[in-house]
Amino acid sequence: MNTAVETMQREFVAIVGASHVVSEPAACSALSVDGKAPQCVVYPASAADVTAVLRCAAELGLAVIPCRNGTKLGTGNPPRRYDVALSLKDMNRVWHYEPDDLTVTVEPGMKFGDFQHFVGRQGLWLPLDPPGGARASLGGIVATNATGPLRLYYGAPRDMVLGMKIATVEGKVVKAGGRVVKNVAGYDIAKLLIGSYGTLGVIVETSFKLFPLPAGRETFVMPTGTLSIARDLRRRILHSPLTPLRMVLLNPSAAELTLAGTPLERPVKEPEIWLEMAGSPRVLERCHGELEGLAKAAGAPLQRLASADAENVWTGISDLQSWLPGRSPGVVILRALLPDAASEELLSRAEQEAENDKALLAGFAQLGVGVLHFCLLSEAATPAVLGLIRRLRGAAESLGGVLIVERCHWDIKDRVDAWGSPGDDFAVMKKVKETWDPKGTLSPGRFLGRA
Amino acid sequence: MKPRPLVRELTRLLGPDAVLWRTEDVMLYEYDGLSVTAPPEAVVLPSTTEHVVGIVKLAAREGVPVVARGAGTGLSGGSVAMEGGIVIGFARMKRIIEIDIENLRARVQPGVVNMDLTLAVGDQGCYFAPDPSSQKACTIGGNVAENAGGPHTLAYGVTTNHILGLEVVLPDGEIIHTGARFWDRPGYDLTGFVVGSEGTLGIVTEITARLSRKPEAVKTLLAIYDDVLDAPRTVAAITARRITPAALEMMDGFTLRAVEAAFHAGFPMDSAAVLLIEVEGLRETVEDDADQIEAICQENHAREVRRAKSAEERDLLWRGRKNAFGALGRISPNYYVQDGVIPRTRLPEMLGFIGQVGQKYQLRIGNIFHAGDGNLHPLLMFDARDKDQTVRVTKAAGEIMAKCVEMGGSLTGEHGVGIEKRDLMPLIFSADDLEMMQKLKAVFNPRGTLNPAKLLPTTKMCGEIRVQISTGGVL
Ligand SMILES: Cc1cc2nc3c(=O)[nH]c(=O)nc-3n(C[C@H](O)[C@H](O)[C@H](O)COP(=O)(O)OP(=O)(O)OC[C@H]3O[C@@H](n4cnc5c(N)ncnc54)[C@H](O)[C@@H]3O)c2cc1C
Repeated sequence: MNTAVETMQREFVAIVGASHVVSEPAACSALSVDGKAPQCVVYPASAADVTAVLRCAAELGLAVIPCRNGTKLGTGNPPRRYDVALSLKDMNRVWHYEPDDLTVTVEPGMKFGDFQHFVGRQGLWLPLDPPGGARASLGGIVATNATGPLRLYYGAPRDMVLGMKIATVEGKVVKAGGRVVKNVAGYDIAKLLIGSYGTLGVIVETSFKLFPLPAGRETFVMPTGTLSIARDLRRRILHSPLTPLRMVLLNPSAAELTLAGTPLERPVKEPEIWLEMAGSPRVLERCHGELEGLAKAAGAPLQRLASADAENVWTGISDLQSWLPGRSPGVVILRALLPDAASEELLSRAEQEAENDKALLAGFAQLGVGVLHFCLLSEAATPAVLGLIRRLRGAAESLGGVLIVERCHWDIKDRVDAWGSPGDDFAVMKKVKETWDPKGTLSPGRFLGRA
Repeated sequence: MKPRPLVRELTRLLGPDAVLWRTEDVMLYEYDGLSVTAPPEAVVLPSTTEHVVGIVKLAAREGVPVVARGAGTGLSGGSVAMEGGIVIGFARMKRIIEIDIENLRARVQPGVVNMDLTLAVGDQGCYFAPDPSSQKACTIGGNVAENAGGPHTLAYGVTTNHILGLEVVLPDGEIIHTGARFWDRPGYDLTGFVVGSEGTLGIVTEITARLSRKPEAVKTLLAIYDDVLDAPRTVAAITARRITPAALEMMDGFTLRAVEAAFHAGFPMDSAAVLLIEVEGLRETVEDDADQIEAICQENHAREVRRAKSAEERDLLWRGRKNAFGALGRISPNYYVQDGVIPRTRLPEMLGFIGQVGQKYQLRIGNIFHAGDGNLHPLLMFDARDKDQTVRVTKAAGEIMAKCVEMGGSLTGEHGVGIEKRDLMPLIFSADDLEMMQKLKAVFNPRGTLNPAKLLPTTKMCGEIRVQISTGGVL
């Protein structure tokens, strides 16, 4: 072991104790990012630990990536350097919980599934269906502003975070916002951290606004024949008084893939819209009637699903990243963001592009939200996949959107910017980054603007 | 009186009809809703982003401050040019540039009046959700700068939840575009950071806003109480039963008598408090929620629960609520509006505390709360000509603020820090927190020439409560 690594370990052990610093290759490679493994994993137990570790790492000129279960570590450009994985696994306490105020303050390492269970006992939830699902950590969800199709009705972490505490590389803890549901005192610093992918500071505590669990939920499926029928249905549904919680359009490959291995497994020949409605039995009855009418007018049949089956499918749709690579190891996952009305158009162009390359594309469009996931399933040769990714990015951009590479093999990551090109506000973003992290200690190279 | 060189240059840039500089002309721009006054050297009325760029470049060269101004309805002194300089008024940048119903988006200039956007999309079944009580006058630029709320932000969120992107002119004249026409563009959320920054980071010259769809059904309830504390108890009970009304507003007896005298909205003159509650959504949901809420009100000893029977009745109730500040203005020479936030379960306790503070300082206090989200607006009545009263008002307001903080709340829920609460900031933020804010401010506004003396305290010294109110007419 070289002396630099020894120094670093000694320093960290002095801060968090020997049992909280691990350098076994297995532990390190479990948290490797784009083929790079850290030299060690540090497990802080408190905000004070985090600040001390960060300050020490900054002084030693090390690169740190904050993480938990690694459900979203694949997203981003390959790290320029990576020495320390800062795992927040041991920070999962609840500091304040006021169910009747609908507020809670928690540490970042708490797993989303445990959290939902915890607040669910009082009929509450954080209405998100992020990638990573139950395994995702709250800190990771906030740091990536992670959402799924539920964004349609409930919004994003950005809309649910009331405040946070952030450990900085200077070794300080900075507070942003507060614990009450309305608050405009001072700059809204939390907004900068939400979606910053661990590049500014380490979130050591977050206060959320909670929501009542819906009375009842029901999922409906509409096979739509063609994408233009799908577009028509989307417009009719979103322009009706109905307010779906979530609504997705799946192309046949996407639907088949999602249903495979579930009790609902079946061949799928046409695009399908899946949507979930909420309310009392009376409301759900009415939704059923109206959706039936809308579907009939568009020449599409309507199917009503049992809730247990439906929940599985929704988990599958919102958490592609967790199960898809297991089934299709070389899968490339792309996320397009664009004005919602162009969703079907982009899906159609993407299918065309994939077909030209004889590639298999599963497309998931979160309707009403303007988010599409494209999964490229075939193990195409590297240059071909790169070409396809670039053309899909071109298609998204020509429709006024952007395309993010969420997952691909690290050997092509070097040749495509995960985020796409930044805008005219990039110079300000760089200064924001320098303000928080002047030495580039946190997740260097991973975020926007790889030259 | 001859125009100074700065004024001459501004005139060259914008034309003579877009520059005000005579004392009597700039006087109208000396104050906002807070009544701290300071005269600007010049007021300019640009029509385009390029004009704004020209103005800030000139200001940068001359080293004079620049302060953006919407309608001047702000309640924390945000648009007052504390150190003089140029006030940029947005009265001529009030074009709705684009409405895109399918994507539920609108692109507007900052001077568009909040209500005008809602009216422009109304016949297409849409509206702009943030609805400050001042919405007939205040601008969307001002809403963005203050991160304004309103009665219906309980269910739908405040301004920041409805803004997707901004065009911002930085103090050196650079134009940046933050966000996008869709959510979550990769990169730091500069849109979210600029919203609520009170004009201290950049001048907003264009706004991409999200539109919302009007609900199918609305029901408005008025719950009337003989004991003032039963109203906040009802609020806590509604929240605890997991019902989220679209709006949940409270007025105490003192306030509603003033409102009734002014507007004849149908509020009972002899009651101790009312809750104005609105539920929205599908017909069936609204009926169920209204029934449940009515039952909760009864359990909490409401004397009576009325339901608005027509759109006119509903409008009248809301007109009373939204003009409540003005109504109180009619019965007192001056009043001072506070804007604190507490956890909503603590409302009964807080109401009791405000009563004690009123007694201690011999002040009449009217209470108007966005009760559903724990946002308090106690209105302290006083006569600014009486020095002693003014001092007492300041002290009383300080005590109420300190109590909000003690309860785990905040100094301001929607009116902003401005000049008013700048020196209270150390009550909730540490020196490290404030230093980070200062550093981030410097990224955008390194020389501090944009809206100087606002939002951040002048010293890091903790604690000294100094709520600044000067004499002069309020509103
Ligand atoms: C009777 C009454 C009721 C009110 N009710 C509410 C309420 O329910 N909820 C609420 O939130 N507020 C309320 N307010 C406060 C006020 O109306 C809001 O803060 C409003 O958003 C201010 O808008 P304005 O156009 O008047 O802005 P101004 O008062 O002119 O300016 C406010 C701030 O915005 C900045 N600013 C304005 N335009 C720009 C721009 N283009 N770029 C950058 N900065 C800019 C100014 O510099 C200033 O700091 C009320 C006020 C009154 C008088």
